[in-house]
Amino acid sequence: MNRIRNERGFLMLDVIFLMLITALAATILINAAPRAKNPQSTIRLIALHLANEQFAMLESKAAAGENLPENFLGKDADLENVVTFNVETTVTGTGNLRKVKVKVSWSDEDKDCIEVEKTILFVPKENP
Amino acid sequence: MVEFAIALPLLILLMYSLANVSVKIFELDKNQLSDYALETEAQYVMERITHELRAAKEIKIEKFTDKVHKLKIVYHVVEEDDNEGYINFYTSRDKDGAKYYLFEEKDVWETQFFIPRLENGVYVSLNAKRQDDNNLTNPITGDNFFGNTKINILRYSKPDNKDNKVLRIELEMESLETEGKIIKLATAVFMPACKKLEGLDD
Repeated sequence: MNRIRNERGFLMLDVIFLMLITALAATILINAAPRAKNPQSTIRLIALHLANEQFAMLESKAAAGENLPENFLGKDADLENVVTFNVETTVTGTGNLRKVKVKVSWSDEDKDCIEVEKTILFVPKENP
Repeated sequence: MVEFAIALPLLILLMYSLANVSVKIFELDKNQLSDYALETEAQYVMERITHELRAAKEIKIEKFTDKVHKLKIVYHVVEEDDNEGYINFYTSRDKDGAKYYLFEEKDVWETQFFIPRLENGVYVSLNAKRQDDNNLTNPITGDNFFGNTKINILRYSKPDNKDNKVLRIELEMESLETEGKIIKLATAVFMPACKKLEGLDD
């Protein structure tokens, strides 16, 4: 008992060190958490704008009453950014409202992709 | 005194390494935050431009350099047309009775500019805000220095098929804090009501 009483200053020091080390570990973990939760946020942002580009081209075609093709209509140079993107389009529906689904992927695995959907107005060409 | 002779150097060494690691973490944090600010900035600027362009009636583009363009968007007054039951622009009829659109000064409702400014050799971000001390800061990070960004490319072009109502926008921004960190966004916007597009020689 007497021995412990003599060493209590060092025990306090131990407690302080342990607190510091825990705080350090917590900082590292807090830093890593958003990255693990939302990886590749820049690539996702670029992909979303690529999808918007495809939507704009499709809307323009639909407003002119032309057929909606399923290939990428924007500039091909836009597909080569940080990584190489691949754009797939599916058009469903008939009549004036067409549902367009655009999938932008940037690797062979299916999990690295975004899918966005939009309903666009199709204006049929006037019959002369 | 022997325990102090051992403990004190150990203590100093430990504090030194702790401080070292803390500085490293702080620097990583700073880089991560400036990357985040860069990404948010590019997204915000791009979204504002596409949002404003969507409803544009008249567009004029001026080229500062090959890479940086100035954009002027003009909106026109709209009015309900009682005869036809839908919203229409101020129109007039020529002598054959056909309708045509008038773009006169009195019709202009609002004009919006996107003008990149050149300061100290760099085009500052469109989002930058001038403070009382005449310094430009980034509103995303407040007064913090790690949020500073610049514009490398802000370019408008027509897509390949020369469709009149689609405008392609390219934006490249660079962080002034983390070296070599660049974000490049490319998109296009469909402008259903656009009647006039000036300044792009094809």
